[in-house]
Amino acid sequence: MATLVQVEELRKEFGIVHALAGVSFNVGSGEWIAIMGPSGSGKTTLINILGGLDTPTSGQAIVDEVDVARLDEVGLTRFRAQKIGFIFQQFHLVPYLTAIENVMLAQYFHSTTDEKEAQLALERVGLGDRIEHLPGALSGGEQQRVAVARALINHPKLILADEPTGNLDEANEQTVIGLFRELHREGHTILMVTHDPAIGNLANRRIEFAHGRLVKATPSNARVSGLF
Amino acid sequence: MFGRLLWKLLRGSGGRLAVAILALVSCAMVVSALLNLEFDIERKLTQEFRMLGANILISPSNAQITGSSPAELMSEREVWAAIQNLKDPNVVAAAPFLYVVESAQNRQVVVAGTTLEELPKLEPTWRMEGEWKSSQDQPTVCLVGRNVAQQLQLTVGSPLLLTYLGKSAQFKVVGIIDAGGAEDNQVFVELPEAQDLARLPGQISFAQLSVSGTTKSLSRYAARLASALPACDVKPIRQITEAEGDLLSRIRLLIVSMVVLISVLTALCVLGTMAALAMERRQDVGLMKALGGSIGRIVTLFMAEVGVLGAVGGFVGAILGVELSRWMGRRVFGQAISSRWEIFPLTIVLVVAVALAGALPLRLLGKVKPAVIFREQ
Repeated sequence: MATLVQVEELRKEFGIVHALAGVSFNVGSGEWIAIMGPSGSGKTTLINILGGLDTPTSGQAIVDEVDVARLDEVGLTRFRAQKIGFIFQQFHLVPYLTAIENVMLAQYFHSTTDEKEAQLALERVGLGDRIEHLPGALSGGEQQRVAVARALINHPKLILADEPTGNLDEANEQTVIGLFRELHREGHTILMVTHDPAIGNLANRRIEFAHGRLVKATPSNARVSGLF
Repeated sequence: MFGRLLWKLLRGSGGRLAVAILALVSCAMVVSALLNLEFDIERKLTQEFRMLGANILISPSNAQITGSSPAELMSEREVWAAIQNLKDPNVVAAAPFLYVVESAQNRQVVVAGTTLEELPKLEPTWRMEGEWKSSQDQPTVCLVGRNVAQQLQLTVGSPLLLTYLGKSAQFKVVGIIDAGGAEDNQVFVELPEAQDLARLPGQISFAQLSVSGTTKSLSRYAARLASALPACDVKPIRQITEAEGDLLSRIRLLIVSMVVLISVLTALCVLGTMAALAMERRQDVGLMKALGGSIGRIVTLFMAEVGVLGAVGGFVGAILGVELSRWMGRRVFGQAISSRWEIFPLTIVLVVAVALAGALPLRLLGKVKPAVIFREQ
């Protein structure tokens, strides 16, 4: 399995706070990694750095042979557009754009828009009949599925999901998790921050953080039990 | 997608943008009206100043124009030939004058021989009891000043016998002039009648012209006339031309100052609205950047939004401004200001520039850090 993500001695400091205090690990292409740990342990900071939303204080964060730490503002922008698909806990949809326009927004910043492709992406997440709805007219689960469609539309190398089910009820959580399982089966590489051990168990591996350090990296129970 | 996004941005922020567009429309309306006024003020002022009477005087070189002595005279034919040769369409009125002191009812009166039909155009401020001379009238009609009419007890229709060195001529009073000046003591007859009485055929004391146009064009015309009449003094009447030029400069300065002031105030109003809008859009911008949107592309989107607001506000305001300028023209000058097509693009460009200047807070959105925005939530 080829290495897609390589993190070496990654540090991020906010003043005197060490959000990441020398983290190292690798992620193989097609892996689903669950990043776990208590609040303030550095999970989101790691996701932000790997996604090019933030820059590390030191260390390396190589994604698809690109060292994110060495990119300037323009390079980070292209990196995010071409290699990363984000899924946030708060969904982060533009409220005045319809579902299909939210998906097309990612296409627009990547290259050119293709409405048909955006529609197919929404149909894939089960929202073929909701494409012209504004986010306000969609349930939390539906909004998150729009976010998943948006994350996938540019065929990113890496999907970064920060607590994607944190704001969902159980039924919607199952729907969204089902989507992630499907993506993983198709070979997508997923790094997912979660507090939920049950979801963590579905991943190939769990990486646990505490106080900015990687304290435990284990294959998940699910993997051991042969779910994948 | 750009157009679609732009439309959604405009629709999505309608309430907030309404304040900005109201300010821009108001700015465009006043600026358009003022620019219309600025373009037309010279013509309007010239018209107003022509109401004050003649603005070019042709006199014999070094002559003392006293109105009482024909000591220095000029050739009527030469002067008229020079005026006609120049063929300037801006000459509103021109009249020769021959002044002679004659007697009437044993009193001395100053008689001015002139072209009576030119007087209404040359002296539009004179008040008249009776009628100006018309082309149907006999050449032996006359106009008398208010004081002369009083002293000689003349009314409209009275006969008036004028005598000069033993030669007499009978005239009929058709109008009594109230000029509020020396003209109230004079009698106005047709030039040939005065020349005949005074035995000065073809001679005039001076000529007055009323010429429309700017102060500069007036000076140019006077210079051309002077070179055509080397034996005469041709001078713009300084008090009127200088007052016109001075007033024009002051009004122009006032208009430019108002346009600048209104533009700055509107930009500040737009700035306030856009600052609030920028705060609202921080999350959207953070998201757009997270999705790979470049600073240039995102800021261009917002600037285009503001540009559209400026263009729409400028267009609507320019149309309203035309009406405002017409109203202002009617109130100030008694007639509408002529609207100029150049005002539309000029107003729109100016208002778009004002809108973009006021959109400074939106430009600062380019500095938004997505990670910071997401952390705040």
